[in-house]
Amino acid sequence: MTHQFNRRMLCISTAILAIAGSVPFTATAQAADTIKLGIVAPMSGPNARYGGFSLRGAELAVKDINDAGGVNGTKIQLFNADSQGTPVEGVSATRRLIDQEGVDFIIGDVSSSVTLAMQPVAEDAEVLLLNAASSNPKITYQAGVGGFKWTYRNYPTDENRALVVAKYAAEQRGFTKFAVLSVDSDYGRSAITFTKKYLPEFKGQILSEDYYKEGEVDFRSVLAKIRDNGAQAIIYYGLADTTPILARQMVELGIAGKVTLIGNGEFNTEKTIKSAPTALEGAVEAAAWLPQFDSPASKAFVEKFTTTYKEAPNNHAYVHWDTVNLLAAAIKQAGSADKSKVRDALSKIKYKSPVGDVTFDDHNQARLPMILLQIEKGVPSIKGAYSADIQYPAK
Amino acid sequence: MLSTVLEQVVNGIVTGSVYAIVAVGMTMIFGVLRAINFAHGEYYMLGTFGAWFAIDYLGLSYEASIIVGVLATMVVAYVVGQLVMSRMVGAPAESGVLATLGIALILQNTVIFVFGGGYKFFSGGYIEPISIFGFSLAQQRILILVVCLVVFVGLELMVTYSRLGMAMRAVSQNVECCEVVGIDVPQVVSRTFILGAALAALSGVLTAPVNVSVYGGMGELITFKTLPIIIMGGLGNVRGTFFAAMILGIAESLVATYVGLQFRDTVGFATLILVLMWRPHGLFSTQARF
Repeated sequence: MTHQFNRRMLCISTAILAIAGSVPFTATAQAADTIKLGIVAPMSGPNARYGGFSLRGAELAVKDINDAGGVNGTKIQLFNADSQGTPVEGVSATRRLIDQEGVDFIIGDVSSSVTLAMQPVAEDAEVLLLNAASSNPKITYQAGVGGFKWTYRNYPTDENRALVVAKYAAEQRGFTKFAVLSVDSDYGRSAITFTKKYLPEFKGQILSEDYYKEGEVDFRSVLAKIRDNGAQAIIYYGLADTTPILARQMVELGIAGKVTLIGNGEFNTEKTIKSAPTALEGAVEAAAWLPQFDSPASKAFVEKFTTTYKEAPNNHAYVHWDTVNLLAAAIKQAGSADKSKVRDALSKIKYKSPVGDVTFDDHNQARLPMILLQIEKGVPSIKGAYSADIQYPAK
Repeated sequence: MLSTVLEQVVNGIVTGSVYAIVAVGMTMIFGVLRAINFAHGEYYMLGTFGAWFAIDYLGLSYEASIIVGVLATMVVAYVVGQLVMSRMVGAPAESGVLATLGIALILQNTVIFVFGGGYKFFSGGYIEPISIFGFSLAQQRILILVVCLVVFVGLELMVTYSRLGMAMRAVSQNVECCEVVGIDVPQVVSRTFILGAALAALSGVLTAPVNVSVYGGMGELITFKTLPIIIMGGLGNVRGTFFAAMILGIAESLVATYVGLQFRDTVGFATLILVLMWRPHGLFSTQARF
C-alpha cells in the first residue's frame, strides 16, 4: 500500500516537474527579441544600501528607454542578482545570470572585491561586463590591452581619487599629519595604497593606519588613538553606512571639529550630516558624482529620480542610470545587440554623459572626472571636477 | 599612556557588558537544552528592529521603544520555543545546530524581506557625551554598564533562589530525574528560551543608539562573538559568562588600539582556540560538567 502510494506520488511529482520545467522554455522563447541585461549588486548585507540605489538607477534608465520604444526598436529586459557584497556570492550571481537567464550584458558590481572576482567569469562566457561603480584601479589594469577583453568600466578609479583628495587636503587645507581609517576591502586598501604614492609629494605623513571590517560598529579605540597622536585629518575610504557611526563616535570622543574627515563615504547626504553635524563640518570628499553637480542633464536626473522614488539619488543610482544609457548608446551605434559588435562600438564611443564626454582608453577604462566637495555650514559645496590620465604600470 | 590604557579598559568593559547580556541568555539555553542557539544574535537584531519600528513608525519615545522591542522579541521567541525548541529536549546535538541555523536564516531574511536590506538609522537614545576620569563617553554607554550589572545580579538571585531558577539548574543536570519528580521540562525550556531571547533583545535595544545602524544581518556578528564567550565562561555557567565577556571586551579594545582595528574580530576566535586547547571546560570550572 505504502509502496503503491509512493509510486503514485512519484508519477504525479514527475508530471508536475515536467510542466514546471516547460514554463521557463516558453519564457525564453518569448523573450528572445529583447536585450537581456543583468545587474549584479549587493541587495543584502553591509552594502545593501548601494545595491538598492544601483538597481533603482538602472530601472529608471531601462523604463525611460523602453517607454521611448527601446533601443533600435528592441526593449531592454532587466535581471537582478544579489551579490551580497561578497566575491563568492557575486560569482554565483554572475553565473546564474549567464547560465539561467542567458544575459549578454552585465552591469556590476559595486564592491571592487566582487568585480575582480566576476571578471574571469564574464571573460570565459564572453559576456560584456560593464562596471559602473567599482573604483579599484586593478580592475582596468587587467582589462583591454591588460588582459580581459570583455571588461569595461564607466567609473573613475581610486588612483585619481587618492590624488585629488591628497592634493586638496595639503594645498587648500594645509594638512600634513594624517591618520588612516579605511574599510578592509579592495576599495579601502587600494585607495590608501595610492594615497601613500602621492602623499610624499605634498609633504604629508601618516601617523596611524587602521582598517575596519564591514559591519564594524565600535571605533572608539581607534579614535582615541587618533585624538592622542595629533593627526589633523582622518583619511577615510569607507562605506556610506559606516560614516554616521564614525561621525557620532567622533563627537563622543570630543574630536569632532578638531580632526577633519577626508576621503569618500557619502559625507554629503543630508541624513549623514544630520547624524553628527559638528564631526562632518569641513569634511572633504571626492566622488564620481553627487546630486549637487551642476549640469542640466544631471539636474534632470535628480528631479526624475526624486519624483519616482520619493528619495534623492546617490552616486550609485546615478552611475547605474548613466551606464545603462551608455550601453544603450553603444547598442545604437553598433546597430545591433550582438555582444561583440556592442563591445567594439564601446571602444570607439564618444558618449555625452551628464558630467562630460566619455571615451574609453586602451584598458577599457572610461576617462571621467572626480568631483570634489567640502561640507560647509552643513551643506556640501562643490570645489571642482578633476580628471587625470592613468599611468598604467609597465608590463 | 596610563590614562589611554584605562580608557581602553573602560571601553572594553562597556563592549563586554553588551556581549555579556547576549551571551548569558545563550549559555542558559545551552544549560537546559544542550544545544548552541545559533539564532541567538537574531533576537538581538529583532529587539533592535522592534525598537526602531516603534520610534520611526509608531512615534514612541526611546524608553517605550525598549519595552516594545523586548516584548516583540518575546512573542517571536514564544512561537519559536513552542514550535521548535521544546522538541529538542533530549534530541541529538546535530538537530539543535540545524534547527537553530535554520531559524537564524528565516528570521534574518524575513526582516530583510519586510524592511529591506539597507541600513536603518536609529535615532533614539542618550548619545550626549559626558566626561568621567578625564575622557568622554556617551551617557548611553553608562546605561549599558548599569543595566548589565543589574541583569547579572538579578540572574544570580533568580538562578539561586527562584523556583524557575532551581528548575533550570535541575533540568541542566538531569532531564530524566526532573521528569520523575514532576518538573515540567518543556515548560522550563520554553521559559528559559524566552528569557534568553528577551535579554538578547534588551542588549540590542540598549546598543542601538551608539551603533546608529540597524540592519537585517546585524545579528550574525553577535552570534559569533558570543560563541567564544560562552565556551570560555564554561557552557551553562552564568557567572563565568560575565567574566569571559569582560575579558573578551577588554582584550578586543586593547588589540584595536595597539595592534590594529582589523584584528579586533580575531581576538575572540584566537582566545577560543587557546581555551579549547588548555581548558576545554571553560576558564572558571575546575572540571567538565557535561
